[in-house]
Amino acid sequence: MWPRISTWAAEATAVFAKEWRCELRTRYALNTLGLFAFTTLVVVSVSLGPLGVSLSQGTAVLPVLLWVILLFSVAAGLPRAFVQEEETQTAIALRLAATPSALFCGKLVYGLTLVLALEALITPVYVAVTSLKVVSPGLLAGTLIAGGYGLAAGSTLVAAIIAQARSKGTLFSVLAFPVLLPLLLLAVELSRSAVAGDPAGVALPQLLLYDASVTVVGLMLFPAVWNP
Amino acid sequence: MLPEPDTRCHGWALRRLNQRFLRAAPPTLPGGAIPGISGYSPPVSSPHLQFAGVRRRFGRLSVLKGVSGSVEPGAMLLVTGPNGSGKSTLMRCLAGLLAPDGGTIAYQENGTPLEAAERRRRVGVVAPDLAFYAELTVAENLTFFARLRRVSPERGLGVLGRLDLPLDRLAGNLSSGMRQRLRWGFALLHSPRLLLLDEPFQNFDAAGERIARELLEEHLEDGGLAVVANPSSLDFHHVAAHLDLGR
Repeated sequence: MWPRISTWAAEATAVFAKEWRCELRTRYALNTLGLFAFTTLVVVSVSLGPLGVSLSQGTAVLPVLLWVILLFSVAAGLPRAFVQEEETQTAIALRLAATPSALFCGKLVYGLTLVLALEALITPVYVAVTSLKVVSPGLLAGTLIAGGYGLAAGSTLVAAIIAQARSKGTLFSVLAFPVLLPLLLLAVELSRSAVAGDPAGVALPQLLLYDASVTVVGLMLFPAVWNP
Repeated sequence: MLPEPDTRCHGWALRRLNQRFLRAAPPTLPGGAIPGISGYSPPVSSPHLQFAGVRRRFGRLSVLKGVSGSVEPGAMLLVTGPNGSGKSTLMRCLAGLLAPDGGTIAYQENGTPLEAAERRRRVGVVAPDLAFYAELTVAENLTFFARLRRVSPERGLGVLGRLDLPLDRLAGNLSSGMRQRLRWGFALLHSPRLLLLDEPFQNFDAAGERIARELLEEHLEDGGLAVVANPSSLDFHHVAAHLDLGR
């Protein structure tokens, strides 16, 4: 049992390490996510900065915009996870060599680290330039981690589904909408609670349940969508 | 009916259910014989590949129309035919990379029939559309695939040494002949019993072809199996059967 788990974990780790090694040499996703996030951050900050929105409006609107920035930044970069494997024909070698579940987890953890790095970069700047007062920073951090995981897991699953399709961009939007909508609603609600200092309520367990569900569904579906 | 679950139904859910039930009751007879093939009884420990009536369509185009063949330890099946005759499609079906529309593919190792998912991870494949990570060096590519194959990275580097490949060169900067050597390295990485070689000597210079032929001969002399697809016939004394898809 344990040897099997350790070899599975070694496979997933190899995929994760390979993803970052390739990414650091091409910087495709880093540049795409970073540029998109920076552009939208500047637009939002200039339009709704300290003088553009009142305190009460800011509590309602600014958390929504933060998640919109994160969503579109992730959507610009993460779907490449499997599409690039198909386009460069490396998917054949991966299909021959990798255990599907280990491949999925390796890609998911890579996506997660990318999203968390983006959040760590964007959120402090966003909070600073919009003068957003966060009463419960711990809850906001927890929401960003759990929400970021959901974004990474949902995007990885949808990316795997669309990888072999022809209209990849359109299909990603269509499939990602129902998958990511519950996550975003919960993440926005929790972020508002963090900003206003309200208790998290049932939204936090629901968000964690969402994360667990997407992971389980991803692990079950992935072998079927990845293999012929 | 041969024990190849992925050829019996088209829906993935049905296929998985089918695989689960087949795994619970392995469809082998005593002595390693495969039910449905009369008179065939390979040694229990010997690998054996047999396919019958394999069909595959792409839309309206029927590429494979009931292709059959078999290969035994130490022997090579040569598949020839002009471009578009279905050689690569057959190889992908045999590797488990493509589900056939009909027919059966039975491959067993150590007396155990392997379904498509297991077969895919066991076989060694050389194919023109097999590509590697252009951003990684040759050594990094094979080390990565060695970890996925669960063999030591040293094994990968040993194979590369035999193929005379530049370890520190990016895979994206390799010549077509060197890329073909890297495909051979990938195929031999995990010491597979079955090699599926689609145009295995293309783009090679004389030295590359000599090395590849030596590796193939050693594989067959060690009791391995090989299916080789090539547009024209090959001068190879291990060829036990010839399947011409051009006819």
